[in-house]
Amino acid sequence: MNYNILSYLIYGCIMVYIIYKVGLICYRNGNVFVLHLMPTNTQLCLYINNILLTGYYLLNIGYAVYSISTWKTIQNTYSMIDTIASHVGSIVLTLAVLHYMNIIVLQLFFKSKKQHI
Amino acid sequence: METSKIIIGYLIYLPVIILLTFFVSKTLFKNGRIFMIEIFKGREEIALSTNKLFEVGFYLLNLGFGLSILRIPSYHFNETYQELIEVLSTKIGGFSIYLGVMLFLNLFLFLRGRKKSKSTIIQRVQGPTVTQ
Repeated sequence: MNYNILSYLIYGCIMVYIIYKVGLICYRNGNVFVLHLMPTNTQLCLYINNILLTGYYLLNIGYAVYSISTWKTIQNTYSMIDTIASHVGSIVLTLAVLHYMNIIVLQLFFKSKKQHI
Repeated sequence: METSKIIIGYLIYLPVIILLTFFVSKTLFKNGRIFMIEIFKGREEIALSTNKLFEVGFYLLNLGFGLSILRIPSYHFNETYQELIEVLSTKIGGFSIYLGVMLFLNLFLFLRGRKKSKSTIIQRVQGPTVTQ
């Protein structure tokens, strides 16, 4: 087995684990926010949250798998470690930026709701 | 193994950044909880989930940055322990300075939120007394 296939396997496992974990945490804690925005309709809240979670999984796992096509050939062990680390790092950074944008959007929703009341 | 010192460097660097991020976020968000409860005026459920969301963001940002600066370029690396220590000190030092800046940024966010929520309370309290 050459280094590339091995590193694709490791990269896939790490990415799927991270994306799954982060999605689960956001799903659980996001439920509180969506419920707070529409306190009357619990069923609709769960529905919206499930759709958001599915969209998140599709987008992120799709992007992580798609970016495998840009990898170069790997010659030895240490370049395997640093290639995996830099790719995982860049995707995790993108995830962080998306997450903070989500928090800002939630904040804006809260503000507009307060003004209506 | 010709280039085994780079691997030694990676094996030292990775646990150090993970442990540093873990401890910093543990101290920050254990205390951030109190701030959040004060910001959301005692509505504990929403305060705790905001705290958790910020914690996830902190982990993602710092581990992502730490992993993406991991690469030690091999073409002018002389395979000596002296060089390894120098390279590692630059990377770990730079990462911990970055972590410190992030810590203060987050603390600033907490303090700003606290100030904002306090000022709205004062307006609500003062509003009726002025009109009476």
